[in-house]
Amino acid sequence: MRISNTSIAGFEGRSVADADRGVLLTGLVGGGCLLVAFGLFLSNSTLTVVPVVGFLGATTYGWFNHQAATVKSVTFLATVATTVVLGLISVFLIARAVPVFQHMGVRIFGLTDPVRVFGITLLPGVGELWSTSGDVYSLTPMVWGTLMTTVIAMLVAGPLGVAGAIFIAEIAPPVVRESVKPGIEILAGIPSIVYGWLGFVLISPFVYEHLGTPGLGNMAIVGVVIGLMALPTVVSVAEDALTSVPNSMKDGSLALGATDWQTIKGITMPASFSGVSAAVLLGVGRAVGETMAATVILSNVVKLPEPLYNVFGNTISLTSLIASQYGNADGMHMQALFAAGVVLFVSVMVLSVVSQTIEARMKRKLEGQA
Amino acid sequence: MSTATRHSLRSDQSEAFTRLTDGVVGVGITVISLSVLAVGRVVTGDTAAFGLGAFEWIALALAAMGSTVVALGVGSFVGTFETNPEERGTVGPALGFGGIAFAAGGLTASQTLGLPLVASLAAALVAGLAVGGFVTLAREDLGTTLPAGGFALFVGALVLTDVLAAGWTWAPEGFSVTFPGYMVVPVLAGLAALVACWAAVSARSGFGAAGRQSAAYFLVGLNAIGMLVVLATLILFIGVKGFGRATQGIAFDPLALEFRWPFVMDGYNFRPDQPNGVFPAVVGTVWLVIGAVLVGVPLAVGAAVFLSEYAERGRFTQLVEVATNGLWSTPSVVFGLFGYAFLVPRFGNTTSLLAGMMVLGFMLLPLVTITSREAIKAVPDEYRDASAALGVSQWETIRSVVVPTALPGIVTGVILGVGRIAGETAPILLVMAGGLRDDAPSVLGSFQFVARPPFVVNDALLQSAPALPYQLYATITAGVSGNEEFGWATAFVLLAVVLSFYAIGVGTRIYFRRRLQHE
Amino acid sequence: MSKATSESTTTAERTTTGETDERVDPEWSNYEFEGTPKMAVEDLDVYYGDDHALDGISMEIPERSVTALIGPSGCGKSTFLRSLNRMNDRIRSARVEGSIRLDGEEVYADGVDLVELRKRVGMVFQNPNPFPKSIRDNVSYGPRKHGDLETGLLARALGRDDGDELDELVERSLRRAAIWEEVNDRLDDNALGLSGGQQQRLCIARCLATDPEVILMDEPASALDPIATAKIEDLIAELAEQYTVVIVTHNMQQAARISEQTAVFLTGGELVEYDDTEKIFEDPESQRVEDYVTGKFG
Ligand SMILES: Nc1ncnc2c1ncn2[C@@H]1O[C@H](COP(=O)(O)OP(=O)(O)OP(=O)(O)O)[C@@H](O)[C@H]1O
Ligand SMILES: [Mg+2]
Repeated sequence: MRISNTSIAGFEGRSVADADRGVLLTGLVGGGCLLVAFGLFLSNSTLTVVPVVGFLGATTYGWFNHQAATVKSVTFLATVATTVVLGLISVFLIARAVPVFQHMGVRIFGLTDPVRVFGITLLPGVGELWSTSGDVYSLTPMVWGTLMTTVIAMLVAGPLGVAGAIFIAEIAPPVVRESVKPGIEILAGIPSIVYGWLGFVLISPFVYEHLGTPGLGNMAIVGVVIGLMALPTVVSVAEDALTSVPNSMKDGSLALGATDWQTIKGITMPASFSGVSAAVLLGVGRAVGETMAATVILSNVVKLPEPLYNVFGNTISLTSLIASQYGNADGMHMQALFAAGVVLFVSVMVLSVVSQTIEARMKRKLEGQA
Repeated sequence: MSTATRHSLRSDQSEAFTRLTDGVVGVGITVISLSVLAVGRVVTGDTAAFGLGAFEWIALALAAMGSTVVALGVGSFVGTFETNPEERGTVGPALGFGGIAFAAGGLTASQTLGLPLVASLAAALVAGLAVGGFVTLAREDLGTTLPAGGFALFVGALVLTDVLAAGWTWAPEGFSVTFPGYMVVPVLAGLAALVACWAAVSARSGFGAAGRQSAAYFLVGLNAIGMLVVLATLILFIGVKGFGRATQGIAFDPLALEFRWPFVMDGYNFRPDQPNGVFPAVVGTVWLVIGAVLVGVPLAVGAAVFLSEYAERGRFTQLVEVATNGLWSTPSVVFGLFGYAFLVPRFGNTTSLLAGMMVLGFMLLPLVTITSREAIKAVPDEYRDASAALGVSQWETIRSVVVPTALPGIVTGVILGVGRIAGETAPILLVMAGGLRDDAPSVLGSFQFVARPPFVVNDALLQSAPALPYQLYATITAGVSGNEEFGWATAFVLLAVVLSFYAIGVGTRIYFRRRLQHE
Repeated sequence: MSKATSESTTTAERTTTGETDERVDPEWSNYEFEGTPKMAVEDLDVYYGDDHALDGISMEIPERSVTALIGPSGCGKSTFLRSLNRMNDRIRSARVEGSIRLDGEEVYADGVDLVELRKRVGMVFQNPNPFPKSIRDNVSYGPRKHGDLETGLLARALGRDDGDELDELVERSLRRAAIWEEVNDRLDDNALGLSGGQQQRLCIARCLATDPEVILMDEPASALDPIATAKIEDLIAELAEQYTVVIVTHNMQQAARISEQTAVFLTGGELVEYDDTEKIFEDPESQRVEDYVTGKFG
């Protein structure tokens, strides 16, 4: 901290001790009110409004009397709030899902038949994978559906996205770059329900008519649509990674008589490898969490495809399970949907942390500490 | 002189050679475009010109390309054309051609010759290894052109000899799908044309490092164009399909200063003679955005200010960073579940506009925090130091120097974030819902004071409300038949709203970046 | 240069008057030498946007010798060097007019293969720019990209592995750049972990490994200690038997020690005088050049 807040109090001509006591008091009142409000809100009380008003009052008083300290505390509270939101999400998701995890145990990822290795049962069978009447909720089909659609999506968005980024960052003439880059960024904003609409009214019927699939909608379509959707994000982030490679490094390669393409392959790509993979991971995260396109394109099938690798099967994903079944779910069924949410949340969180680590490594590498 | 062989600075190809390669590329791009149209069924096997069907034309073009490419390679090998090929091929093309040969060999054996699986696999392996090995060991000019030209000739021949005709079908085992000839022919033809073009482009630059660069640039450039074309087509398609219905009946009376835009200003009605509109959904989306901004932006900007101005780098900031990035990538449907478990029970146990606002506000939080932090970080430290050196306190510096300088960046982040949440469907599905036929929420008119806590109530906030993205979803679940036009128009309005936010956001960002650079 | 500081006030006055008064005589830079010119520059103008960075430079660079470029900071030495192998093409705002010939062939003609040009005209940059790769890979980068060396699994399988030759080349290049002793036990470490001076010598080794005809060096010794500098100077002297070396330096003694001819650029992007090094340092024609080399200027 560069300047302590006492200097402001000095300005106002009051004694330091007085001002400090005022700040402390205001802070205590404000913080206390906020805590009480939070507690009341959690316990679902209509009285929440009282401490909220108290907090607002303390803040207003602080704004006029101890502005610097107030701002610092309020911004600090805002920062804490960010973390609290994430904490609340984890707590409420997990709390709702715990009963079904207890009920199912490892069978939450069970298959129809038990999995045995050398006669030891690793994973007991569940018979029917998903049955609301039998209270059996195995997430295996949806995990598989998410996996399949994500893999297809990344086969589309990964290579094409990285190639697109290379084009924009390294090959395109400046004029093209300056118009294509914002264009791609804008395209990243197309809402997923719009993709879902296109998939539903155009692509699904087309594939049904011309490729003889048994019904409307399949994982291959969803994968391709999600891949297209993730494409602009992958391009945009990978492009940032590529342009962060210092020009002097590229110059060094060119001055040795390497071609531009050799420089891209030999210097730029390896140097930005972490950043580019972070971009692809980000795309994976998008694909895993994508809901609406999968929900409207896929029918509500909770069985594994036959055979497993049949990408033209109709198995739904974790996200679309939630979106298409929450409406008529209650009790254990609803908790199972929360369990699906937990699985989603955890996998995306892992992806996020991994991609952050990778990115931090890239920074260190370019700074020469690796 | 230090090197034994000194090359000239210029390596010019003969004109005939260049013209041949250009010809192949021109024909190839035509074939690729035709193939794309054929896959989309715009062009079919029945489309004919000059007495020949589209597929025959494509096959003939492939045959011509294939033989030209082979001729280019042989000409380079025997020295008719001056080129600088490497002594042997590289791994990438070897794998690519090997893979194509593997697939072609296997499919020919199993589909055309009807061999059993093991024999087909063996044939595939032999073909793949033979071609891959040839590409690796042969001089680069031959290794590039022979397989590429051969593939084009092969596909051309298959089509011309009617082995692969429109009526042909292939149902790969284990997949519930049947590929008909009229789909397979254009896909194969497009691929063959692409490969032939690739070889011709490499030849045009005389093979070697320069040739590989041109060939790679050709593919990468084509990919970029293809990507933009696909995405632009999506948008155009929605524009074309939705524009008419969305703008139907727009009227402006300059005298009465009356403006009517039925689709946007009317609600959903049950009269068969009057078209439905999306007015309630538009109002709902506006309120959602306002609410989300009120919830998310102050928190996000506050956090950004604290993190970049007050906090010392350490465990706490690291934790917050991980949390923000985690929130950023949390799937929207998970936010929905959270709202369902946390907010809905606390707002009268029903889905409500207020719950929607708060959930979207939470989603906005990480988006705006990250962009605001970047904007504040971009404020040069000299500004802060200069201000501090004048004896101005830290808070005064933040208020009068840092925040105003960073404001454009913050605003841009908010605009982009709003664009993203305005199009979100999954969370409001769970916490707000709102049917097709709901009225527009009248938030301002519904405030009421009561004697019991919480003293102020607002029914409009505590009820479900419609929103544009949800409206589109509801159109789908209600069964599209008969309502398709309405759906297209809704999609169009939604897209227009969201993309305008993005365009404005991206535009202002570019504007302010330029201005910063010029300062 | 303590003399310069002691006279700083008077120098400042003289500089300003000197700059406006003295007219540059084209004869001063008309350097005649025996033998063939390796590179010939004629009426070279370089602009960055509206900035006129080099103003009508004409000079011929003799083959197999060391040419030093000196001049105050910002006078366009780096710009000149970068024009010689067309690295300026990489800068968007840069515009080059005039002619440069390499062995009589125009460098700025249409259809010139930049890769071929840069294979023949190598460059060591002002700031070291090693690749984020191992030391070995840094040195062998050029030869491998030119296809002069084949390594890797495939080459080994085909019995065409040049691994030994590559090791030899790496060692030879590193030795010549006077860095072998310091790095021979960690050739596989990332080059970015080296010190600034080591990085610079690695970049010199990297350039030598590609065996160019002309070597452009932009202050190669600015980050080096006296011992390493001495080694690099020895290397440059040795290089001149085989290569054409053009070197930018801010160190007058260094220019005097290693170069056969010296070109003096002064502010405004002008080439003021170009002659035998001895002549430039002992009896220059231009008053401003005299001031500059004796340390009264800049
Ligand atoms: N990339 C660039 N864009 C715009 N102007 C440039 C660029 N590079 C150099 N300049 C300008 O051109 C002029 C000459 O620069 P140059 O780097 O050639 O000087 P120099 O003689 O090498 O200086 P130094 O001894 O400090 O390295 C300077 O005025 C500089 O500001
Ligand atoms: Mg310089």
